[in-house]
Amino acid sequence: MIRHPRDRHSWNRAMSRREMIRLTGGAALSAAVLAACGGDDGGGSGTGLRIASPSDPATLPIPDDNAPIESGLEPEAGPLKIYNWDEYIWPKVVKEFAAEHGVDFEISTFYNMNEAVAKIKTGQVDFDVFFPTIDVVPKLAAAKLIQPLNHSYIPNLDKNVWPELADPWYDKGSRYTVPYTVYTTGIAWRTDMVDDDIAALDNPYDIFWDPRYRGKVGIYDSYRDAMNMVLLRNGITDINTDDPKDIELVKRDLVDMADKTSVRTTINGAYAKLPEGDFAIHQSWSGDIVAAPYYFPESNYGDPKGLLRFWWPENGKGEIGNDTIAIPKAAKNPVLAHLFLDFMLQNQEAIDNFSWVGYQPPIKAIDPDKLVKQQYVVPNLKEAIVRKEYFDSGYKALTLPPDVDAMWQDAWSDFKSGA
Amino acid sequence: MRGARRGSRAGRGQTRDAPGEAGGLWSALAAPGLLWLVLLFVVPFYAILALAMGRLDPIFATPVPVWNPVEWDPAALQGVFSDLFGDGALRVVMVRTFLYVFSAVVLSLLIGYPVAYYISRHGGRAKVLLLVLLIAPFWISYLMRMLAWVNLLQDEGYVNRVLMTIGLLDRPRDWLGGSSLTVVLGLTYGYIPFLILPLYAALDRIDKSVLEAARDLGASSFSAFLRVTLPLSRQGILAGSVIILLPMFGDYYTPDLLSGAPRTSMIGNQIDFFVHTSSGGGQKGASLVIVLSLLVSVLMVYYLLTVARAAREARS
Amino acid sequence: MSEATAPRARDLPAAPPLARRAWEWLANPWGRPRFLALWTWVYMAWSILPVLIAIQFSFNAGRSRSTWQGFSLRWYVDDPDLSLLNDPTLRDAMMQSLRLALLTMLIATPIGVALALGLARWRGRGASAGNFLMLFPLVTPEIVMGSALFFTFVFLFKFVHLGTTAQVLGHVTFSISYVVIVVRGRLFAIGKEYEEAARDLGASPLQALRMVLLPMLAPAVFAALMIVFAISIDDFVISAFLSSGQKSETVPILIYSTARAAPTPALNAVASVMLGASILAIAIAIIVQRRFQKREGRRRSDAVESFARLEI
Repeated sequence: MIRHPRDRHSWNRAMSRREMIRLTGGAALSAAVLAACGGDDGGGSGTGLRIASPSDPATLPIPDDNAPIESGLEPEAGPLKIYNWDEYIWPKVVKEFAAEHGVDFEISTFYNMNEAVAKIKTGQVDFDVFFPTIDVVPKLAAAKLIQPLNHSYIPNLDKNVWPELADPWYDKGSRYTVPYTVYTTGIAWRTDMVDDDIAALDNPYDIFWDPRYRGKVGIYDSYRDAMNMVLLRNGITDINTDDPKDIELVKRDLVDMADKTSVRTTINGAYAKLPEGDFAIHQSWSGDIVAAPYYFPESNYGDPKGLLRFWWPENGKGEIGNDTIAIPKAAKNPVLAHLFLDFMLQNQEAIDNFSWVGYQPPIKAIDPDKLVKQQYVVPNLKEAIVRKEYFDSGYKALTLPPDVDAMWQDAWSDFKSGA
Repeated sequence: MRGARRGSRAGRGQTRDAPGEAGGLWSALAAPGLLWLVLLFVVPFYAILALAMGRLDPIFATPVPVWNPVEWDPAALQGVFSDLFGDGALRVVMVRTFLYVFSAVVLSLLIGYPVAYYISRHGGRAKVLLLVLLIAPFWISYLMRMLAWVNLLQDEGYVNRVLMTIGLLDRPRDWLGGSSLTVVLGLTYGYIPFLILPLYAALDRIDKSVLEAARDLGASSFSAFLRVTLPLSRQGILAGSVIILLPMFGDYYTPDLLSGAPRTSMIGNQIDFFVHTSSGGGQKGASLVIVLSLLVSVLMVYYLLTVARAAREARS
Repeated sequence: MSEATAPRARDLPAAPPLARRAWEWLANPWGRPRFLALWTWVYMAWSILPVLIAIQFSFNAGRSRSTWQGFSLRWYVDDPDLSLLNDPTLRDAMMQSLRLALLTMLIATPIGVALALGLARWRGRGASAGNFLMLFPLVTPEIVMGSALFFTFVFLFKFVHLGTTAQVLGHVTFSISYVVIVVRGRLFAIGKEYEEAARDLGASPLQALRMVLLPMLAPAVFAALMIVFAISIDDFVISAFLSSGQKSETVPILIYSTARAAPTPALNAVASVMLGASILAIAIAIIVQRRFQKREGRRRSDAVESFARLEI
C-alpha cells in the first residue's frame, strides 16, 4: 500500500511466501481484482497480477449490483459523515457546505489507510465521503465498498480540474473517484539548526545519514515513502522495483541510517515537530511543509516562517503523488455526498481548503507562479509548489504485486524492529 | 484455627441447609458475571485463534476467521514462533521488551517500596492525604500524564532547563530522540501507582506486634525489617509486580509517545503495526497476540500457584 | 525507627561535616524516619508535579506546551477554532468519555458484586474455575483484549456495532474483575458470622444477603463504583479498537491521536477540565459517604482505604 501524507500510524508487516500464494492463488475475487486492474496481461511481475500505471491505465468495472445513483435526486437531510485523515480538510469549508444545504456534519478521522479500509469493510460504519489513496481504489471498487459516481452531480470535475487528473490513469473516466490533492515528497529542514544548504549538496538525500544531526532526523513512518527515498539516494529511479538486490541495499542503508542518526519515524514530524524544534531535518511531503509555518509556537521566534526550507529535485525527478475522494457504498446520503465532491472542486472552496491544509488541489485556477505572491506559500518554501508538468517527470509509487510488496515490507519490518 | 472454623461451618451447613437452596442462590448470583466473561472474554480468544489460523481475504489480504478448528492452518502462527525463537527481528523486539519491562518493574519496586512502607508505618496524621495523593494519578488519564512528560522533556522544556540551571547538563539532552532510558522511566512513571497500592495493602496488614516481638528479642530495626517485614510483604511485592508487569508487556503507546524510534519499539508496537494492517499482517498480529497471551498466562499461573502455596503454608 | 537507613549512616564517617549533619538529620535513628518521609514526599511531587505543570500550560497564551508565553484563556474560550469552547471534537470526546464511564459503572458494578458474592459463597465446582477466569481480564494486556473484542464484534457478534455499544461491552468486561476483587476483599473481612447469625434468627439466605450482607458491603460497592469510573475514563486501547469514528472518540483517544499530530494547549485544557470534574465527583462522593457513615455510626471503612487496598 502506498503511504499517505496524513497516515498517522505505521505498521510493518511481512507476508510469508505462503500467504502470498494463498492470497494470489485461486479465489474468485482475485479475478475481480485482475479485471479491475485492467484488460489483458502484461506489466506487473511474475504473479499474473496486472498493475495499472501511467503508461497502462485502468478502467474500473461497474458491476450491475453497484450502479451509480440516479440523476436529478434531491439531497438527503444528512448528517453528512466524512471519513478522513486528521487535519486533512478545513472544517470551516465543510461548515459552509453544511450551512448551504441545511445539514449537520461529522468528521471522523483515521490513522492510516489500512485501518480505514478495515473499518469500512466491517460494514458497521456508514460514512458518506471517504478519502482513499489511489492504490486501494481498485480494491475498494472490486469489493463493492465504494460506489460509482454519477457525473451529472459533479460538473466541476471537468470544468476546474487539471485534465490529466480529471481522467487519471488509476481510474480512467473518474468512475469512482475525484482527485483531491497533489504533492511531492522531498526534504524539509530548519535553517537555524542545519548549517548546510541541503539543496546545494551533491546528493541532498545523504543528509539523513549525517551523524552531526543525530537525534534530530526523521523520516515518514511509511515504508513506501521512506524506502523510495533510499532508492532515489542510490540513483535507483524505479521506485516500484522488484529486484531483491535493490531492497537489500535499501534495508542496509536504513539500518545504517538508524545507527548514524538514531532516526525516528513519524507522521507529524514535518508539519508539526519541525516548527517545534523537535527535528532539524525531516522527510517531507510538499503539503506538510506548506502548512508547517502555521505550527510555530508564537512569539518564540522573530519571524519563524523564514526558518524552514524544502528541497525537491529542480529537474522534476523526484517522487510525486495525488489523493482522491470517493463515496462508500454504504453511504446514507449519497446525493449529498456527490454534491460535496462537487463543492470541494469549486475553485474558491478548493483554494480555501488549500490555505488551511497546505495540500494543493489540482485546480486549473491555481497559477503556481502566483502562489507566493498571493501568500498561500511562504517565499522560502516555493520549492514545495506542485506544477502540472512534474506529473510527467516525477516518479509515481504504484500498487506493488503481493510478492514484491511482501519483500518490501519484510525489509521495513526489520528496520522498524530496531534490529 | 481458620481451618477448624471452616470445618465447623461446613458441618452446620450440612445439618441445617437443604444443600441446594443456598448453593442455588450463590451460583445464580455468579451466573451473569460468568456468562459475561465467557461470552466477551473467552470467546474472543477463540476468535483470535480462528483468525490467526484462518484464511486471507483475496482482495485486501486481510485475515478472515475460520471457525472450524479442523480447517485451521497454523502457518502464520508457526512463522511467528520460528521468528521468535530463531534469530528473526521479532526476537530482538522480544528481548528488548523483556529488558524494558524488567528494568521498569525493578525501578518501580525500588522507588515504590519505601513509599508504601512509609505510608503504612509512619503515615500518621498525613496518612489520608498521602493516600489521596497516591490515588490521584488514577484520576488523570495515563496518556495525559505521558503527554505532560513529552512537554517537560522537550529541548527547551523544564527538565532540561532545570538540569542546566543546576549544572548537571551543559546543553539540552535529547530525551525524546529515541532513548531507552526515557521509555523505561516513562513506563515506571506510568505504572508505579498500580504497584504501590497492593504493596501498601500488604505492608499495612502486617501485625505490628510481630515486629515489636522481633525488637524485644534483640533484633536491630534493620534486621527486623529484613527478617520480618520484608518476608511478610513478599506477597505484596509479587502482587504489585505482576499487576504492572503483565500490562506493560502489551504497552505500545508509551514508547510511541516518548520516542517513536525503531530502536525502542516493544512487542506491543509490533502487534499494533500488524493488527492495524489490512494486508497480510493481520494474521501475524493475531499470532503475536496469541504468543503474548501464552506468555502472560504462564506468568499468571506461576503467580497464582505461589499465592496458593503461600496460603497453604499459612494455614498449616 | 528507620530500619532501612540507620546502619548506612555509620558507613559515612569521612563525610564532610555539613553533608554528614544533613545525613544524620535525615537518617535520624531516634525519631521519625526523615529519609523515608523525604523520599515519600519527593515521590509524591514527582507523581503530581508534571500534571500540575500540564494544567499550567492549559493557560498558556501561545501554542507551545513547553515554553510559557503568558497567561490567557485562549485554549478554553478565546481561540475561535481550537479552544475547548469552539472545537466540537473536544467537547464530544469529553461527553463520550463520561457517557462510557457512567454506563460502565452502572452495568459492571451490579454484575461484579453479584459475581463476588457468588464466588465467595458458592462451593460448587464452577466456583474455582470462575475465580480463576475472573482474574485474567485484570492482567491481560489491553492490546490483547482490544484486538480480540474488535475481531469478535466484526466477525462473530455482528449485531454489536462498533461505537458506544461495543465500547461499553468492552469496558464492562475488564471492569467486572475489579469490582469482584474489591467486594471480595470486604467480604473476607466481614466473615460469615453476621450472616450466620441472621440465619440462626430465621432469615432465608436471600434475606440474610439483602438485610445483613449488602448494607455491610456498601463501602466496598462504593469503592468499586469509583474504581470502575476511574479505569473506564482512563481506558485508551479498548476504546480505540472499538470506536467507530468521531462520535465514539474518547478523551484518551483524542490525546493520543492529537499527540501524534499537532497538539495544542487545548488538549491540556481538556485534561484539566476532566480532572476538575473528577475531583468534584470524588468530593461529592466522599461527602455522601461520610453522611452515610455517620448514619451507620462507623468511621473506619473509608472508601479511600478500600480503593487503596485494591489487590489481587
